[in-house]
Amino acid sequence: MDFSLTDDQQLLVETARQILTNECPPRLLRAHLDDRSEYAPLWQHTRGFAELGRGDCTDLCLFLDELGFVAAPGPFLATTLFAALLEELDADTALRDAVAAGEVTGSVAVAGRSGVWEPNDDLVKSFVLDADAVDHLAVVSATTGTESGVVVTLLPNPGARALRAIETVDTTRRLFEWDTGDEIGAAIPCSSDAWRAFADRAHVMVAAELVGAARRCFTMALAYAKEREQFGRPIGSFQAIQHKLAEMSLVLERATAAVHYAAMTVDARDPDRTRACHVAKAAAGAAARRNLVDSIQIHGGIGYTWEHDLHLFLRRATGTEYLFGASSWHHDRLADLLFG
Amino acid sequence: MQLNWGDDDERFRAELAAFLDEHAPAEAAAGFDFQGEAGGDGGIVPWLRDWQATLFDHGWMIPGYPPELGGRDCTPAQTLIYLEELARRRIPRASHFPGYAIVAPSLLEYGNEEQRRLVPAAIRGDTIWCIGMSEPNAGSDLAALRTRAERRDDVFVVNGQKVWTSYAMVASKCFCYVRTDPDAAKHRGISLLIVDMDTPGIEVRPLTHITGQADFAEVFFTDVEVPVGNLVGPLNGGWALTQGSLAHERAGLWVDGVARLDQTVRALVDLAKRTGKDTDPGVRRAIAAMDEQASSLRSLGYKGFASFAQGSSAPEHSYMKMASSEAGKASYELGMELLGAYGAVTDAELGEEAGRWVTNFYVSFANTIAGGSSEIQRNIIAQRVLGLPRGV
Repeated sequence: MDFSLTDDQQLLVETARQILTNECPPRLLRAHLDDRSEYAPLWQHTRGFAELGRGDCTDLCLFLDELGFVAAPGPFLATTLFAALLEELDADTALRDAVAAGEVTGSVAVAGRSGVWEPNDDLVKSFVLDADAVDHLAVVSATTGTESGVVVTLLPNPGARALRAIETVDTTRRLFEWDTGDEIGAAIPCSSDAWRAFADRAHVMVAAELVGAARRCFTMALAYAKEREQFGRPIGSFQAIQHKLAEMSLVLERATAAVHYAAMTVDARDPDRTRACHVAKAAAGAAARRNLVDSIQIHGGIGYTWEHDLHLFLRRATGTEYLFGASSWHHDRLADLLFG
Repeated sequence: MQLNWGDDDERFRAELAAFLDEHAPAEAAAGFDFQGEAGGDGGIVPWLRDWQATLFDHGWMIPGYPPELGGRDCTPAQTLIYLEELARRRIPRASHFPGYAIVAPSLLEYGNEEQRRLVPAAIRGDTIWCIGMSEPNAGSDLAALRTRAERRDDVFVVNGQKVWTSYAMVASKCFCYVRTDPDAAKHRGISLLIVDMDTPGIEVRPLTHITGQADFAEVFFTDVEVPVGNLVGPLNGGWALTQGSLAHERAGLWVDGVARLDQTVRALVDLAKRTGKDTDPGVRRAIAAMDEQASSLRSLGYKGFASFAQGSSAPEHSYMKMASSEAGKASYELGMELLGAYGAVTDAELGEEAGRWVTNFYVSFANTIAGGSSEIQRNIIAQRVLGLPRGV
């Protein structure tokens, strides 16, 4: 059992941090507010990391955390989720290679209008990441035709369909609803094990991204507490602010550790992995909520303005809390495991 | 990052498991509910004294120490495995903690040759030690302590009062922090003395907990004469020694608290089933949230251990101390809630759960106060980990 980063992992984090800080400044996030194609130059940099999608989950999660920290727009999360599903399905080798090379993008459609990321027979797929811009879409459906009851349909060029954009507070992310109608044709059977493995990996991936967004809110609040002066001293010298930041960092640290543990269990195909991934997403949700609420409070009035950058990250954190199951949904699944 | 332990470590675990299977006392399995119903004479349970000696004699008392000190020179990772295995099996390690956890490492680091000879008996539990730290006006602000020691020929004459002194009623020796220079800044005038508890002028008055137990006491010193040879470390250099604990086990101090939280989660699941509340979505979610905390704290503990093993400081210790003690309190509260109107009932005739949860709830109050309160931990995190300016 070793939670320390290897030299390669350390290098990955440092490289990602350097590139993302330069290529994804807040002004890109603001430009993206008005014009979604503004993510394109950033994607030219992040696509080089697409091979992480089928590599070790631990490495992928370290990168996703950094991506969340800068609230990067673009199809990286969608594409690496797509890659994860393709790997579990053992599908089309050429397509898998192209995705890993960053040449082809994709996304996965799971949730129906009920907003539950479990296989279902709803013909309307909802909360689909970046559906208008990716090259491929994998649609997960429930069926009575196979033993596992799960099938996946691969469709090219989903952007050509009649998609409905779903507006959320998160202006850094694009979500869509799509009425599949009779388009769900030839489908690949997906075993229960393959679905479970994909779902576990997806939960910890989204958790990693969410922890990154929470860490950004925390980092901004900590920096502000050190520089903002009132009553003739930095507000970070007041115990009320210190204790708030201590609690924020605790929930953040424990979520980070939970993500690392869950990613390790995924890589090891450990029997504890499903539980660990539910814990990771629930803990990440707790970290995000606490840190976004208290970072606004510590910033005071200035954090409540449109001009200040904090709200960009606040939005990312809020939106990501609800992707692939909110904390309460993961608690319910954990309870199912606990109560047997 | 690596999920599994190495082969050497797994062999170590197997060897420990075999030892515990053969030697662990029957009382260990049966007797310890949650916090541990200590009891016994002044808090010392007789079978636990025997068990501590057995651990020492087999090199399993402090495995990171050499054999002559009750260990086997194991690695830090193996020490963590040792703590995990004991916690998982709910096997306590010692009849009392001050001797092996505080006195022994401090004497090994700061004591002279004669003082270091006291160490094996302290670890084996043959000598019972108490620690004279807190005073009525020196709790979280320990450096404000006022018990005075004045040099008179070849003795220090000690006058003052200690409080919350665990095991003082049964201890034969006291590790006593005293003020030797009243004019120096408060951290710079403190010294550490070894005081024999049978010295004339010492009076011990047991203090009863809110739970009715009494394993700590007030200790009054009136003109108590302590040989100058009993000074540990430099005169007026005692403050550094207040930080003494088993340094190489510090990164594993969380193990017990987290294991207890895990066990409480399982007990809550059983309780929910027995009380027919296992289908209540709110109850299920509350217990799952507790499990999320226990599980993520365990991961944080391992993460802290990893940085400790690499030689970095491990701020996780403060996080773990604060979070596991606070979560523990909340977990017992949840059990009381599941009992409904019986939450506060201690009448044993009204069922096996009577008093179990509320008693543990009360006992758990001590954990967020003793050993650095949650508020002090938050100060430490804010100032030493997050680099915020000293508070006001």
